[in-house]
Amino acid sequence: MPKSKAAASFEPDVVVVGSGAAGGMAAYALTRAGIKTLVLEAGRDYDPVAETAMFKWNHEAPLRASSTPEKHFGFYDATANGGWDVPGEPYTNAPGSVFRWWRSRMLGGRTNHWGRHVPRFGPYDFKSHSRDGLGMDWPISYDDVAPYYDRTEKLIGVYGTNAGLENHPDSSPGVLHTPPKPRVTELMIKAGANALGIPCVPSRYAVLTKPIDHPHAPRQACFYATPCGRGCAIGAAFQSTTSLLPMAMGTGKARIITNAMVSRIVTGPDGKATGVEYIGKDGSRHFVKARAVVLAASACESARLLLNSKDGGLANSSGQVGKNLMDTTGTNVTGHIPALENRPRYNEDGAEMAHLYIPWWLYKEQAAGKLDFPRGYHYEIGGRFGQPGAGLGMGGNEDGYGQSLKEDARRYYGAQLGFTVRGEMIPNADSYCELDSQVKDKFGLPVLRFHWKWSQHEIRQIAHGMQTAKEIIERLGGKVVGPLLPPEQAIAVGGWIIHEVGTTRMGSSAADSVTDGFGRTWDVDNLVVVDGGVFTTNAHKNPTLTIMALAWRSMDHLADRMRKNEI
Amino acid sequence: MSTISRRETLTWMSAALASPWVVGAAEPAFAQGDTGLWKEVEIAPITASGYGSDPNLLKPSVPWPLTLTGAQRATLRIAADLMLPADERSDSGSALGLDAFIDEWVSAPYPDQQRDRKLILSGLAWLDAESNARFGHGFAAATDSERRAIFDLVAFKANVQPGYGRPAFFFSRLRGLMLGGFFSRPEGMKDIGYMGNTPSTSYAGPTAAALAHLNAALAKLDIKTV
Repeated sequence: MPKSKAAASFEPDVVVVGSGAAGGMAAYALTRAGIKTLVLEAGRDYDPVAETAMFKWNHEAPLRASSTPEKHFGFYDATANGGWDVPGEPYTNAPGSVFRWWRSRMLGGRTNHWGRHVPRFGPYDFKSHSRDGLGMDWPISYDDVAPYYDRTEKLIGVYGTNAGLENHPDSSPGVLHTPPKPRVTELMIKAGANALGIPCVPSRYAVLTKPIDHPHAPRQACFYATPCGRGCAIGAAFQSTTSLLPMAMGTGKARIITNAMVSRIVTGPDGKATGVEYIGKDGSRHFVKARAVVLAASACESARLLLNSKDGGLANSSGQVGKNLMDTTGTNVTGHIPALENRPRYNEDGAEMAHLYIPWWLYKEQAAGKLDFPRGYHYEIGGRFGQPGAGLGMGGNEDGYGQSLKEDARRYYGAQLGFTVRGEMIPNADSYCELDSQVKDKFGLPVLRFHWKWSQHEIRQIAHGMQTAKEIIERLGGKVVGPLLPPEQAIAVGGWIIHEVGTTRMGSSAADSVTDGFGRTWDVDNLVVVDGGVFTTNAHKNPTLTIMALAWRSMDHLADRMRKNEI
Repeated sequence: MSTISRRETLTWMSAALASPWVVGAAEPAFAQGDTGLWKEVEIAPITASGYGSDPNLLKPSVPWPLTLTGAQRATLRIAADLMLPADERSDSGSALGLDAFIDEWVSAPYPDQQRDRKLILSGLAWLDAESNARFGHGFAAATDSERRAIFDLVAFKANVQPGYGRPAFFFSRLRGLMLGGFFSRPEGMKDIGYMGNTPSTSYAGPTAAALAHLNAALAKLDIKTV
């Protein structure tokens, strides 16, 4: 990423904390409105064009590119200096709680490796309390966000189709790129699911299937090879570092400082933010003055920053900072399908992720009280002739040795189907983060301590997701691989799906929320949160598209207020 | 905490791992029990450094020293050729360097690999102990049929001999690693028919033959074809 040498002497109007999905979008939207923006990133500089391991084979990497505690998603994963544990930057779990917190310490944050599955929230998802009495309604509706969904999808590039399904809004004409053709495994799941009355439609991924021309961020179409999680040197798979950040820099209105760990939001006598303090790589402390401060550090990191900025927490008169922590529920069910054994070979890489998926389909049954859990889930589906690594994946059919084993490996390769359940969690009083009273990180800043508990809403939902996957597998003549664990054990631990949101939620009242519908904190007029912290609910639909759409909307609002000299 | 990643499970490469986030997952029930010939080896922990959290991804290298002895490597080569012998489609396990791969694996400083190190080194010692007890000489000196007799004690899930739980667990792990190590090599990928990692301007999708195979399968299941 080209950075101006003059970053240190730059006098910004707005300082943005974080450079991922939210921070990149904030920088893009603000600079587009002519506002001088400084982005502070805690991690190192990162250049996906020069650093991405495109086309490298698993066998070229240590341990066949397996995951290790130093590269949790495998050797080639784009994540640098991040993962479930960041050296020198611990977090703690309260007794009885298990929460895992994925962080990234690099320019572009988690967008460099994310899953890129980008379903829209629908009208129900913003008003779910009105539907079932649980959680809280958002202060905004789908109609408020819809134009920003269109704009965001167009900007980042999304393949998919308009399936016209309940609570799964269509995009405006001309927005979506054509999705790639489904693989045999996906067609088979679709056939089996449809036979049981379950929909299966093209999924939406932030991957280009036609190029996007831009003077500062030209991006090529997907060439259907090399995993997206490694990052994408040609910019086909969206990441902040090949799109939003260069576009922002191209306006001449942005500067980026990396290795800048923001330690505190500084406020003046009138309670307004005057800027932020950050700690450089060498331990030096710096103050950056700005008219407004935008938090885009990720839900939990932004909550931590607020809690560390003032005794009792800045912008915390509601006591809600750190509360309402949600993740997505998750589990996996794999089936072995005898009918897929020895199937004809062809290239199944495609656009890396699933070309089809199963959206939530039981809204009417839920509304009629026919299900024992209130909120939905979707399946991300899989199964393919993947590039072998340290494990071959024979669906539990490994047996014996010798010539028969070699033949079995050929026979069972690509004969498994996968169902990844991703469901909505409802916020509960037992799931939150707070400052740990003892532990500090390498910067001397108090760390987060997590509390976590699933409720029966999530456990029963997972049970339904596992049972239904089993029914699809069995309809296809297959068998579930391994035991189906009880849902209490099968549900992924908190944080594992890396959709943590809600810790600075938006609402209609300063009494029970941290921000208003534009992410503006109720207590500090010129302090805006744009990351997943503002989520009032966490629909099962992966959060990043909504983070970006809301960030754009909130930044347009901020820019408007700055133009009117309200700030 | 297993280190299998979420997105790794998403690709369904490790299909049998139902629940990788389960802390302290138990070994399978069959892994228990031994005849007295199995000895858990006492080994000093690997203290070498890993590749760190920000390695050069374009020039991958293995920074830790290999640790297996010449005799252990020789046993692994024999085991690799029994496990995955040469045939008309691909070469043998030893020809594809499985002993070097296992050495790299068990010499790595990470927790999963350190657990495998104890299991595999104990297992290699057991092969010798079993061979000595049965035939009066070590595994390397055994005949092909003697080696097969030892493998047959533990290799078939439905027919693991009583008291051979630990050796069977070792064998299962060694087989899993050898399968991955073998078919991830270029010759192995060619054998198994992986055809990706190559760019194209459009994605062709399934071939006519692949679709015909699918539709025949669906028809048999009395499901509408695609």
